[in-house]
Amino acid sequence: MSPHRPKILVVDDEPPLRELVVVTLGDAFVCDEVDNGDEALARLSADHYDLVMLDVMMPGTSGTDVLRQMRADDGLRDVPVIVMSAWQSPQDVASALEAGADRFLAKPFRIDELGSMVRGLVSRSA
Amino acid sequence: MKRLSLVGRVVVLASAVAMVVVLVVASSLIAIVSLRHAEAKESRAKDVTAATLRLQSITADLESSLRGFAITGSPAFHNLLNSAQAQVPGAFRALETLVADDRQQLRRARDASDLVNSYVTDVATPILFIRSVNPRAARSQAADAVEKEHAREIRSALNTILMVEADRSTGRAAHARYLARAAIAGGSVALVLSAALVLLFGAWVARQVAAPVRRTSAAAAQVAAGHLDVRVEERGAGEVGSLVSAFNSMTRALERSQQELLKQNQLLRESEEHKRDLISMVSHEIRTPLASVCGFTSLLLEREFPREEERRYLEIIDQQARRLASIAGDFLDVKLLEGGGMTLDRAPFDLVDLTREQANLFFSHSSHMLDLELPDNPVVVNGDRDRIAQVIGNLLSNAIKYSPPGAEVRVVLSQDDGRARLAVVDEGMGIPPGDRARVFEKFYRGSEAASAIGGTGLGLAVAREIVTSHGGDIDVESEMSRGSTFTVELPVGAV
Repeated sequence: MSPHRPKILVVDDEPPLRELVVVTLGDAFVCDEVDNGDEALARLSADHYDLVMLDVMMPGTSGTDVLRQMRADDGLRDVPVIVMSAWQSPQDVASALEAGADRFLAKPFRIDELGSMVRGLVSRSA
Repeated sequence: MKRLSLVGRVVVLASAVAMVVVLVVASSLIAIVSLRHAEAKESRAKDVTAATLRLQSITADLESSLRGFAITGSPAFHNLLNSAQAQVPGAFRALETLVADDRQQLRRARDASDLVNSYVTDVATPILFIRSVNPRAARSQAADAVEKEHAREIRSALNTILMVEADRSTGRAAHARYLARAAIAGGSVALVLSAALVLLFGAWVARQVAAPVRRTSAAAAQVAAGHLDVRVEERGAGEVGSLVSAFNSMTRALERSQQELLKQNQLLRESEEHKRDLISMVSHEIRTPLASVCGFTSLLLEREFPREEERRYLEIIDQQARRLASIAGDFLDVKLLEGGGMTLDRAPFDLVDLTREQANLFFSHSSHMLDLELPDNPVVVNGDRDRIAQVIGNLLSNAIKYSPPGAEVRVVLSQDDGRARLAVVDEGMGIPPGDRARVFEKFYRGSEAASAIGGTGLGLAVAREIVTSHGGDIDVESEMSRGSTFTVELPVGAV
């Protein structure tokens, strides 16, 4: 086990999905979970995260809104973000990338795809 | 007054013009004929005068040769007398022929002929006889009162014929002139009248036919250019007026059908959009639970987990698979609703029991607080227990879905007047007034809710169908930001 485990914030209003991400990433990462956009922004401003797994469609502040606010914030601008969504038309993907997402992960996703995507982004930013 | 048709008016006006023209021609013909007639009469009068004058000259010869022979006994006079006497019948025949159609003149001619004949028989023949026996006596007889009287009567008779003829001629000439003048005057008036009528006719055609036709043709060009709102002023005679009004009806009908088409097009576009949204929504609704099912299945297949964890993940898979099944069930139910093929498996059951069961199912894993108010005694409903469970489950999951975590959901069951009343009260976002009437329509999802909260828009439509087919009612009351209350009423009793 490495001395520094990267910290990941998992934002999704579906508890099983959050749990799936946390279990998939396993012991190599420290995962925090929130189920809405406002709480996600609060956590991000309070704590440092190495990566954010962000759902788009949530009640209240949407994932896209969270992403835009992060990219407008000097402290959060460079935090890698993976947007995961069940809405995956070309427009949905384009709007996520335009808002500042580093990767787009379509639900349902393969667990090895999630793992490699997260590891790639974390090692790059490290 | 009944309006004449255009053809009728044209016929009437054309007939009027034709009649006037006929009048003009007829009066000219009358004038020409009467002038020619007058000319003929005039020339005949001249002939009568000439014939009468000839008779005057013959009778003068008769008198003078008789007197000459009586006095001188010269054979030259006798010859002249014979010659004049021989000419008398022919000259009278000529005169009588000329005046054959004029009874008065014919009578005068015959009288004059009789006078001449009696002059010959009563005067000339005796004097000739006396001359042969007593020349002296003959001399005195030739110029006596009897002879003179006879001669004067003959002259007077012939003069009368001449005078009457002259008089007639003057009268006829005056009549012919009058006729000619009248014909010219009548013709002129008729000519002016027909010219005026033709002008009027032209003006009328221009105003009643040409102008409306021109306006209509200009409007038709506009219609061809796509301006279907043009209308032509509805004026013009008979068929032209009908044409204009038919044109207006046509453009009105065209405009109506164009608007109808535009509306249908719009509906079609909306329905296409709706279908696209629906497909996208459905795929989203399916992918979310599918992501958990696929993800946890892969994890279980690829990794080793302690037995407890393994079981938990299997429970998640089971729960999410059921969610998928329920979505598929909603679609199946809608299919049944549309085909009218939903059948109820009725049997008496306790609604209190069912409500408690559903509440436990939905609130055991929820962060929401449940306030369950149930009567102490059973409330027995004769119905399809699974279908009513579906209704209650739908209302409970909506209450959880549309209100914030930790909020309270009240579920109140009561019985009153032979009706069971189940109210599900949430502290959610509420339903906008415009959406309230439509939440029971299939695929309808409130504009705000649809943006963030998943759902097929089928649950309430199916719930309403189930409740109404049980003879019950479902209704909603809502206040924005305060919450909504869904109420289901069902008839009670084990019928």
